[in-house]
Amino acid sequence: MTAMANISWKWAAALLTVILALVPFWPGALDSYLFSFLFFVFIYAVMAQGWNLVAGFGGQISLGSHAFFGLGAYTTAILWSGNYLWGSLYETFPRIYYFDPVTMVLSGLVAALAAALIGLPLLSKLRGDYFALGTLGFGEILKVIFVNGGDFTGGAFGLVTPSSTFETLMPHYYVGLGLTVGTAVAIGWLMRSRYGLALIAVRDDEMAASANGINTLKVKVAAFAGSAFIAGIAGSLYSFYIFHVGPDSVFNLDWMLLPLMMTVVGGTGTVLGPILGAFIMYAVFDIARIFVPDYHPIISGLTIILAMLFLPKGLVRKILPMSLARN
Amino acid sequence: MTLPSPEIFLQLSINGALGGAMYGVAAVGLSLIFGTMRLIFLAQGAMIILAAYLVRALFQNLGIDPFLSLIIMVPVGLVAGWLIYQGLFRKAAAEEDRNISLLIAVGVMFLVQNLMTVIWGGNTAAVVTSYTASGIELLGVRASFTRSMGFLIALAGTALVVLFLRKTLVGKAVRAASEDMTAATLMGISPHKVNAIAFAIGIALAGAAGVAVATTFPFNPFAGFIFSLKALVALALGGIGNVAGALAGGIILGLIEAYVQFFISGGWTNAIAYGVFLAVLMFKPEGLFSRPYKKA
Repeated sequence: MTAMANISWKWAAALLTVILALVPFWPGALDSYLFSFLFFVFIYAVMAQGWNLVAGFGGQISLGSHAFFGLGAYTTAILWSGNYLWGSLYETFPRIYYFDPVTMVLSGLVAALAAALIGLPLLSKLRGDYFALGTLGFGEILKVIFVNGGDFTGGAFGLVTPSSTFETLMPHYYVGLGLTVGTAVAIGWLMRSRYGLALIAVRDDEMAASANGINTLKVKVAAFAGSAFIAGIAGSLYSFYIFHVGPDSVFNLDWMLLPLMMTVVGGTGTVLGPILGAFIMYAVFDIARIFVPDYHPIISGLTIILAMLFLPKGLVRKILPMSLARN
Repeated sequence: MTLPSPEIFLQLSINGALGGAMYGVAAVGLSLIFGTMRLIFLAQGAMIILAAYLVRALFQNLGIDPFLSLIIMVPVGLVAGWLIYQGLFRKAAAEEDRNISLLIAVGVMFLVQNLMTVIWGGNTAAVVTSYTASGIELLGVRASFTRSMGFLIALAGTALVVLFLRKTLVGKAVRAASEDMTAATLMGISPHKVNAIAFAIGIALAGAAGVAVATTFPFNPFAGFIFSLKALVALALGGIGNVAGALAGGIILGLIEAYVQFFISGGWTNAIAYGVFLAVLMFKPEGLFSRPYKKA
């Protein structure tokens, strides 16, 4: 039965993806509120999936996702506004940096590199809460460095990229959707691989994993860097939306707290949980923001508390059969 | 960079230490809660700011002197802490997944911050009394009266907590639970009881810290989070689980901030404070004051 359920759930997910991919063709969809709503759901789902990789599957609670998100956004903004990548080609093709895959991947790589550099010493020395506190400290340091970075980072104001390139939200939507599906498929596949097994083994019992010949440090740092790569690309995507990358906006703690919250509400250590959590939590926040603007953070706060009190294991484990939810 | 005169240096140190004691008292509360529950109670800063607003309300509406309101704030804090634990954390404390408690703390933080914004507005508030501007002059160095009082409150609060932990049977139970919850439970200590006591004392300390903050600094509903972060740094400096160390860690952090602000620039204070924090976590995770034989 579970095999059947497994297959039908995959079909349902594929069908939903196709429906979401067709949304922009609906007349008037491009200008609708729903469209930008879905774009933000995608960004948060990608961030949540990234956090899920290191914390849900890897068991290392990182409180530094916002640092990698900001690093990715800044990398894109710096490359673009300073034209460090394409040189004279930029004059011929003024839109070359806009959704440029090379820039986006580089943004992810910068974040991943930073994560590897900070992760190696942190993860070899620190465990559990100390690692969480360390990543939190790293995020704050990075923010101050970018504020004090002079012309290179634009100081406290940040950097502005040419917003004249913006035409519609269409590319944002498709890249967001693609990243959401892509990270979910990639992580789902990864967790079935040798590496995924090793990662789960390290989470469940580090000593036993190590005794079985797993290089636990390597596995943990790889998960941390992979999660940073995902966050960096999400940051890059966001910078194509906001066109103004500033320390207070992209290094905002919300970029860490909200994805974390969405993952836990959806189900940590599941592939579908972060996506479901992002969708539901962002909907709750946004509805509260529209209908009770003065009180919306109160409602957000209440929602988190209630969700944790009554759904501590996450929604996915509530509504899906156990064998499926585990993956 | 020119070296300052000894007077300026002393003045700098005193201001830093007095301000740092505020981080210290917040860190003591965090340390207690972390000790038994292994929970980073991120809402502690928001609780302190809430207490500061209550102190202001008592002062403005009922004319109660801010320092006198300690008599009200501490018992209210004890009761509130007990209720918060029983209502919100009791169930989550039993779960193995500690993310749940952490997220409830985040939820409480959001809730408290925004309740304060709705009730008192988002602007910066301050408590101004007849003695706010007065200071104590000693050996050519001037210390603000309210800051000194805040320092005394922090010192007295920490001393009381240390005495409670060392001298009473309940305190001993809390210490035992912090060291090894499983073993403590096997010895007949109720986990919920010690957790609730730790929470009650932690929030009572937030009440006392609120008095100190209200009289010393201007504050706004969102100032609490930075306060929580600084308290975490102080906690790590002092060694997680070491109550007196947490206060000392806060004072050290205050000194670092004062020196960085003077010698380098105000913009780098946070980066250097967190840099020290990371360095301590990496090279001396048991804190600056631990003795080798003691388990961290």
